[in-house]
Amino acid sequence: MLDILSLLDITFFLLAALGALVGIIFGAIPGMTATMAVAVCLPLTYALGLNHGLALLLGLYVGGISGGMVPAVLLNIPGTPSSITTTFDGFPMAQKGEGERALRVCVVASLIGGLISAIVLFLFAPVLAEFSIKFSYVEKFLIILLALTVIASMSRNMLVGIFSGVLGIWLSLIGTYSISDGGNGHTRLMFDFLEPYLFEGFSLLPVLIGIFGIATILLEAEEGVKSGLAGKNIEFGKGGGFSFGIFKGRLTNLVRSSFIGTFVGMLPGVGGSAASVLAYTQEKNLSRDSSEMGKGAPQGLMASESANNALTGGALIPLLSLGIPGDSTTAILIGAFTLQGIQVGPLFIPENADTWYLMMIALVFANVVMFFLMFYAIKHIAKVVLVPKYILYPIIVMMCVVGAYAINYGIMFDVWTLLIFGVLGYLIQKVGLEVAPLIIGFILGGQAEVYFVKSLESFGTYSIFFTKSPIAVVLWGLIAASVAFSVTMSLKSRAKRRLEASS
Amino acid sequence: MESGLSSLLSVSIDFETSHLFFPHIIHWLMGGLFALILVFNVAPFLVAVRRGERTLPILGESMDKFRFFGTLALIVAYFYLMSVVGNFFPYTGYGFLFVSMAFLFLMSLMYMHTRTKRKVITAAINALVAPSLAWFILAKLFQITLP
Amino acid sequence: MSMPSIYKTLGTSVLMAGMAFGSAAALAADGPLRGNVRVVIGSTSTGGDTYQNSSIVADALAEHLDINMKVDAVGASSAFRFLDRDPRGNTLMIFHDQSYLGYLYGVEGYENIFEKYTIGPTVAINPGNAYLVPKDSPYQTLDDVIEAVGNGEEVRVAIQPGGVSEIGFSALKNAIAIEHPGMEENLVAVNTGSQADKNQQLFDDQADMINGTVQANEQYTRLPEDDQKAMRFLWLTARNSTIEQAPEDGLGQTTREQLLQYVEPNVNVTMGDDNFTFDKEFFFLYNKDMDQAIVNQIDQALAEIYAEGEIQETQKNAFFIPNFKPSDEAADYLESKMSVYEDIITNIQ
Repeated sequence: MLDILSLLDITFFLLAALGALVGIIFGAIPGMTATMAVAVCLPLTYALGLNHGLALLLGLYVGGISGGMVPAVLLNIPGTPSSITTTFDGFPMAQKGEGERALRVCVVASLIGGLISAIVLFLFAPVLAEFSIKFSYVEKFLIILLALTVIASMSRNMLVGIFSGVLGIWLSLIGTYSISDGGNGHTRLMFDFLEPYLFEGFSLLPVLIGIFGIATILLEAEEGVKSGLAGKNIEFGKGGGFSFGIFKGRLTNLVRSSFIGTFVGMLPGVGGSAASVLAYTQEKNLSRDSSEMGKGAPQGLMASESANNALTGGALIPLLSLGIPGDSTTAILIGAFTLQGIQVGPLFIPENADTWYLMMIALVFANVVMFFLMFYAIKHIAKVVLVPKYILYPIIVMMCVVGAYAINYGIMFDVWTLLIFGVLGYLIQKVGLEVAPLIIGFILGGQAEVYFVKSLESFGTYSIFFTKSPIAVVLWGLIAASVAFSVTMSLKSRAKRRLEASS
Repeated sequence: MESGLSSLLSVSIDFETSHLFFPHIIHWLMGGLFALILVFNVAPFLVAVRRGERTLPILGESMDKFRFFGTLALIVAYFYLMSVVGNFFPYTGYGFLFVSMAFLFLMSLMYMHTRTKRKVITAAINALVAPSLAWFILAKLFQITLP
Repeated sequence: MSMPSIYKTLGTSVLMAGMAFGSAAALAADGPLRGNVRVVIGSTSTGGDTYQNSSIVADALAEHLDINMKVDAVGASSAFRFLDRDPRGNTLMIFHDQSYLGYLYGVEGYENIFEKYTIGPTVAINPGNAYLVPKDSPYQTLDDVIEAVGNGEEVRVAIQPGGVSEIGFSALKNAIAIEHPGMEENLVAVNTGSQADKNQQLFDDQADMINGTVQANEQYTRLPEDDQKAMRFLWLTARNSTIEQAPEDGLGQTTREQLLQYVEPNVNVTMGDDNFTFDKEFFFLYNKDMDQAIVNQIDQALAEIYAEGEIQETQKNAFFIPNFKPSDEAADYLESKMSVYEDIITNIQ
């Protein structure tokens, strides 16, 4: 252990803190993501050496994931794909003038999620890696299916909601059936002349910020951009009405969501966005008082934010104990190791114990720094909504452009995607379809296809989804429970509405 | 019975056409759901429109045409000109920088309801500073490719 | 704020922008390659070998020529499109054998690079392309696999279709067709995606052999046999002479000596007269109409960089084998390489 202490110096902590700060800024700008933050700083790590480089990158990772909450709550634009469920309750709260309170809830939840996953990573990484390889295509498909059931329970009108979700899946299938997922590389669902642009389909991030950001601006423009300010009657000072009492009785939610986040992060290929969606679904299904969720309930924020920060620890599990990245950001982290000539694989932890402990220290430290930076900066950050719209909106458009252009390292079509989905988002809301299910369908659609088709290719029968393993049976149980729950919920609310109408 | 069920469930996917397998399922699902929506949601809605209780979306609503179509036109021009201008200065980000300045200023002007001198000046300064800052930090400091 | 101050602000900003512009222009060196140059690569990953190798080369070139160079991981289809549109030389591309293998396998989005582009210099080899089996597999050598398939046993190999990951599989199939005519159908491809997916197929017992890399799988080969994840190398597709150039310590705890056991002549995959080998080589691709002077300038600059010898150290540290060939030589070499693989692929169809 003493060797490790000698490796820890002030620069190490400064870099982790700097990483967290820069990460938060990247995450907070709509369109910029944690992945991007790590990608642009990767070349710096060569000069820094492995340990210092990792401190910086882990700081960026934690900060970037957390920063996503800011635009999600204040502007209704998810700063990173994994903060999409944060918008469901965060933005309604911000509209009620509780933006600051919402952000504080998010920060605390993020810290808890981050720390729980770090502990899980530290104690159980090899064991969990062993468990994660029990998940083949079949089980992964069922996980995605489970996440998709959220669509049923979160939509206002179940039929319309499910249709929107399926439409989202359809949109995600446009382009090639990618070779890098084991597909045959043929394009589908488009005209030949679109092939140069749509070869790889629509990218997630431009779709997301287009449908949330640009569409919101179009809706506002239609109304004439009336009130000067983005938020209404905001109360500042005194923590915006925040107290830790809000977490009373929410421990189960926080711990459950953190574990879901860690667990989903751990499964290679099942994207990070699925984590917060799953945690949100489970909170909605399992909590006694979920009727307010989606209208501005802090518990939704807790589920979403603790899960997406728990991703960090989770995604590092397969990276460090199998050499396989758990999400897109850790895929770039691999580069940091190979740049230094270090292999990650099943023997990484035993062979590089020092680096392993240092990474844990950096991870925990970055989480703590993130908490203090955010918790005390929130007062000022929340004032974004005081900026007049005629200043704020053009800046949002500009930053969305930067983010969309940069996400795939400079592709102009991604910028046009912003506009296409901005207009689509506008139309969808006008004709009464639902945006959130559509986006969830879009996020999960591609993976659902690969896992579904590959399972059938391997086993040649639909029955495999039921008989593959005990894990599959358990997952079916969860799916059935989730569906049953949303059906009873919708029947109940319909009965209630009828009662109100008749009285 | 047993074999009947298993043959019903068995499926073989040709790799060459496997890219169409899942979209096919989704098309059926979408078609079915759409039919249901037509019957349960759209039809009652149209009846209500005919009775004059509801209005058609978009067409039947009042809108600020100037700002709505202005926004669309500005965004299209912004995206288009950005790559055109950027092409003159390959991979410097100037296309983004200069066109963003113009875009920010025009969009701010359009969204203002009263154009006081003070507001216009704020908008102008913002239009100069915000893109420069973004450009400097991203293109120069972090070396991110911009149009 | 008064009106004149707007002009002042405006003026200052214009001046500042002008200065920034001026300084960027001043940075440009004297050669035909000037200003900001973007190197697009055929991979979308910034953690992978293509990106790593390209940034080593781009950094060295940028420093040597005193220009700005930036590597962007835009992926194959976008990279080709960027290259198509820019004959000025501000866009260059670095990719590997996938660029023509994709074409040979008929993958959408690939065309004949030898007709459509100018081939630039080769810079390095990634010698790691490998085939592995579970540690408790009955197949001890690749010959066992060939024998087994020849005797009618079905062997499933997990690969990513349409390129570098498939070529070794195709060659093996071809060898079986030569040695045991008609039996090659028993070698079955399990088409899958990333390295993680391929490993998973092995853990799930959905594949008997997988395509992998020395870099990604070396640690798995050192796990104890009772571990479900343990694997064993059967075959490295690299040439013997390529592995000979690897650092003596090899990679991780597998030495060069050990790696040499898995290449020819210890492992033979016949193509009839010769043995099949495959080295994954990285090279530049240029727009067809790009100024020849730029081609020469890069050739010359790289020749000087490789003469200094520093870049070789960096490459070897990252387990790349330095392999500089100027553009003319590279074009001929790669074209004949392609024709060999073309034969294999047509043979087994």
